Amino acid sequence: MTGQAFFVLTALADGPRHGYGIVGEVAELSQGRVQLKIGGLYGVLDRLAAEGLIEPDREEARDGRLRRYYRLTRDGRGALAAEAELRAATARVVRVRLGLAGGEAAG
Amino acid sequence: MSGDLDLEQRYRRVLRLLPGYYRDKWEEDMVAAFLDSWLTGDPDEDSVTMEYDRPTRQEIASVVALAARLYLGGAATPRRYFAWGQAVRLAVLAVVLVHATQGLALLTLLTWRRHLAGWFPALPASLAGPVPGGAWPTVMNAVDCVWIVIFVALVLGHHRMARVVAALAIAVDLVFLLQAQLAGLLLRPLGTWSSWFLLDLAPVLAMAAFHRDAPPAARRPWLLALPGYYLLVPVPVLVIQATGNQAWLPDSAGLGCLVVSLACLAHAPRALSRPRQAAGSGTWSLALTLLAAVAGAWRIVSLGSYLHDPHLINVSLAELLILLAAVAMVIPDAARAQTAAPAPPPHPHPG
Repeated sequence: MTGQAFFVLTALADGPRHGYGIVGEVAELSQGRVQLKIGGLYGVLDRLAAEGLIEPDREEARDGRLRRYYRLTRDGRGALAAEAELRAATARVVRVRLGLAGGEAAG
Repeated sequence: MSGDLDLEQRYRRVLRLLPGYYRDKWEEDMVAAFLDSWLTGDPDEDSVTMEYDRPTRQEIASVVALAARLYLGGAATPRRYFAWGQAVRLAVLAVVLVHATQGLALLTLLTWRRHLAGWFPALPASLAGPVPGGAWPTVMNAVDCVWIVIFVALVLGHHRMARVVAALAIAVDLVFLLQAQLAGLLLRPLGTWSSWFLLDLAPVLAMAAFHRDAPPAARRPWLLALPGYYLLVPVPVLVIQATGNQAWLPDSAGLGCLVVSLACLAHAPRALSRPRQAAGSGTWSLALTLLAAVAGAWRIVSLGSYLHDPHLINVSLAELLILLAAVAMVIPDAARAQTAAPAPPPHPHPG
């Protein structure tokens, strides 16, 4: 799973969001390190939808335009949980190897 | 005209870069997201924004990058775009393979010239030639050899590394060509410049087809192709040059035409016998058609250097005719390979 896909799925973990809402949430989650462009975001959303990891939730009208919200599917939740576990395990190994506090306790 | 458009229409105009099937699915969403990034909810401020603001360069670049990924598609895109993506990837690999084997041939020649392999006979006079001094020959030799690294990186999936190194290599080439042109040292400027545009710049730009959605290259056959092509083309060329028979060798553009023609002839039995329902697998035919277009364009442009010599013009035209006859055998299969499959189903509505 790419870093962008991981952040997009994480942004949808606590509830449905629309496109620009995902961009803002990803920027916040990554503390500004990941600034998704709209072209890049819809490349990721298209892939995740094709893989069955996200699906449309609802549409809301705003200023005459429809905002479509997306949510995680059951497979999406599973994939995100698995990826989070993998990343956490990797982080634990890194902390142990660097001799940082909490590495062994967490492992 | 653009002054009559509002911000939404300007975004829609940028989104026209994307394939139709993709716009059907995502355009409304993308426009809404773009506008959400500008609008504040204050009617006066939003009205000014809608009238005067424009898509930023970064936003346009992100749409262009997305368009490149979609047109040169991965496995999840409609058949036509996937076929084009695969064909471009195969054609780029083939051109980079040729560059890499030229690097190997250069290494062979340098080894021979410096007599590093003591058991090997001395370099014949026809290959010895004067060794130019200065830093440029060393730099250009290094650039030629670096294509071996680029090829291996591309085959092994290190696409970003391959793109960066290739961009540096052609930039150095460009500087060399410019200074040679200004100094009046280019013997056949048309052939040399067309070679840079068609065989250096175009493939490096086309490396955009090696994106994260693209299927990986078949490693084993491509890695075996490196020594295989080296033994089939550069080595016989070296032997012909070493035996003093250069007069029998076509120039680089002519050699390109003949090699692509032979590749078309070798592929023709498969292309001609392939059943129609398996047309989607004819991406090799499409790749060979692309390569034939490149070789043909190179041959035609470089003809300009031979206008003084009717014999060379005739030889070049014969090479072109051979190329046309050979590629005609694979073109029908190439056309079938890009036959559009039905577009993916429209985006499901929220349930």
